[in-house]
Amino acid sequence: MIDTEVGAPAQRTAAQRLAGASTFWIALVLVALCVLFSVLRPDAFPTLFTLQTLLIEASVLLVLAVGMTFVIITAGIDLSVGSVLVFSGVVAATFMESLSGGDASGAGVGVVLLGLVAALAGGGVWGLVNGLLVARARIPPLIVTLGSFGAALGAAQLITDGVDVRTVPRVLRDGLGFGQTGQVPHMVALAAVVTLAGAWLLHTTRFGRRTFAVGSNAEAARRAGIPVRGHLVRVYTGVGLLSGLAGFMSLAYFGTTTISGHSTDNLNAIAAVVLGGTSLFGGVGTVFGTVIGVFIPAVLTKGFVIVGVQQFWQPVAISAVLVAAVWFDQVRRRSRDRR
Amino acid sequence: MSERASESVSQRPARSVGRAQRGRAIRRTRVGTAAVAAALALLAAGCGGSGTIGQSPGGGSEPPANKNLVLLPGVKAEPFYISMQCGAQEEAAKLGYQLDTQAPDQFEAALQTPIVTGVLATRPAGVLIAPTDDVALANPMTQLKDAGIKVVEVDTRLQDESVALSTVSSNNEQGGRLAAQTVAQLVGDTGKVMVLNTKAGTSTTDARAKGFEEEIANHPGITYLGQEYTDNQPSVAAQKITAKLSSDPDLAAVFATNLNTGEGAATGLRNAGKTGQVRLVGFDASPNQVEDLRAGEVSALIAQDPATIGRQGVEQVVAAIEGRPVQREIQTDLIAITQADMDANSQYFYKTAC
Repeated sequence: MIDTEVGAPAQRTAAQRLAGASTFWIALVLVALCVLFSVLRPDAFPTLFTLQTLLIEASVLLVLAVGMTFVIITAGIDLSVGSVLVFSGVVAATFMESLSGGDASGAGVGVVLLGLVAALAGGGVWGLVNGLLVARARIPPLIVTLGSFGAALGAAQLITDGVDVRTVPRVLRDGLGFGQTGQVPHMVALAAVVTLAGAWLLHTTRFGRRTFAVGSNAEAARRAGIPVRGHLVRVYTGVGLLSGLAGFMSLAYFGTTTISGHSTDNLNAIAAVVLGGTSLFGGVGTVFGTVIGVFIPAVLTKGFVIVGVQQFWQPVAISAVLVAAVWFDQVRRRSRDRR
Repeated sequence: MSERASESVSQRPARSVGRAQRGRAIRRTRVGTAAVAAALALLAAGCGGSGTIGQSPGGGSEPPANKNLVLLPGVKAEPFYISMQCGAQEEAAKLGYQLDTQAPDQFEAALQTPIVTGVLATRPAGVLIAPTDDVALANPMTQLKDAGIKVVEVDTRLQDESVALSTVSSNNEQGGRLAAQTVAQLVGDTGKVMVLNTKAGTSTTDARAKGFEEEIANHPGITYLGQEYTDNQPSVAAQKITAKLSSDPDLAAVFATNLNTGEGAATGLRNAGKTGQVRLVGFDASPNQVEDLRAGEVSALIAQDPATIGRQGVEQVVAAIEGRPVQREIQTDLIAITQADMDANSQYFYKTAC
């Protein structure tokens, strides 16, 4: 998106450019939803409490979706994020348990940091395997990550015998999972740092430009001297690392590995990325859009419960908004391209 | 929503592969024909074998030559089903039977159905199954029955009562009523309460919610805010309970109808700083929940007796195999465990391994 705007005529005003940005209208939908729920329940929706819980509950998905943005911009896909999240959480939790002799509840900061390293390593290895299979073995990413989607979950169940690991260091739960500094929950701060770093990497660095180039036209990128295969391996390893981090955050938040609770994380992350204006065909996308895409379903879920919408309508309405938002975006793009 | 996303995703690789495939079409056809021929030959051999020469080792002299039972729990790795498996294995060994367990990764009819049809191919003498949907599993289970396999339902049940010979389950409605009584006691018969349920259409959890709703109506001081479904995902349970706390900050108690909802609810309450203030009554007594009860994050647990369900299920299926009469309906007891009396009730805690 940003790349195409570079060639736009210079006489366009700032307002025109803003209205032309792919994320502008989607962001407007989010704002409109917030206003709507605030008007319907002024006492309950626009509160600090709602905002805090909304942000905390979206943190884990946001970290996954930032990584997914990079992968989808390369015209790839990663279906394994939820399973890798579970695997990393399990690796971290069992590692911390073994370091503290069976029960990690009372473990110190050192053990927690080693647990973090284990989670990142666990996620990174799956990402690296995905990347090598996609870039070197040239297997379609849909198939590769569908494979690791099953394999990572299976591996997590093998490690734990399928039973959730439950002794999570109190330091971790109170520090990261429920800790806050001046009303800013630590989970949210961590997710924000990841998001900003992702935006910086994608939109200002050579790594980001190469990501767009590979997704726009891999062959052209190769002929321009970009190491396409190496770049893909790095992108998939990156999303693996972020899934590992998300697994660690989920561990801190739930205090258990929730093995059976992440089967739709991959689709939630993909939906958020696509909703945020990133093209499934690659070459187009923003991290900011992804942030909006994560929050629209989250705001809808929360708002519907607060307003008291009959609950079988909730998934219907959420899905309708998702499809409508993307359709709206498509129509707008087509009319722009015709000009 | 999820289906839509996966469809649009799957279009992409297909498009790039298409052209290459067309070039190879002719060669593929020939290979395909050969494969079909080979498969037919195998099939014919298989049918012939079982129809004519293949006799069972016992030759039919002892009544039940087939001593294989299969337990099909609703989902892998839930302590509830593991405890059931332990009870069932123990009983099966005692009666001289072999019990194998096969569970889907998620509590999902689409994942359990292929397991059921797979088990059908292995022809065990009896199957204990916890159907993951009260309608969707009717077909595959009828196939089991039609193949002469004795089917007993454990934990959950089909709407169609003609498929299984016996149903062994907790009296979930009574469990829900027990939960309502416990909630009423905890909040002193006054305040707002809600139910966090799993997935619509799950017979057990719907019965718990129903029992709760009926009993809570007998307590006029309590305002019932209705139920919310969580799709059995802890993250959704946390989302919904904090949202409810936004609209009703004076929420007094929550009844979570199963493990995942209970864990999500505990996380949401802790997140909101309302642990202990909002009374959480959970269902089931897996180790994590017992820890939460001990720590005060959960105020009470309504525990089932899965080991007994497993034992009685095996008793019934073996009775059917050996031609003895079976009992169509068996309901096992539930019990409310609070922090105060938890040590006396430790035999009801669920196991993570036998």
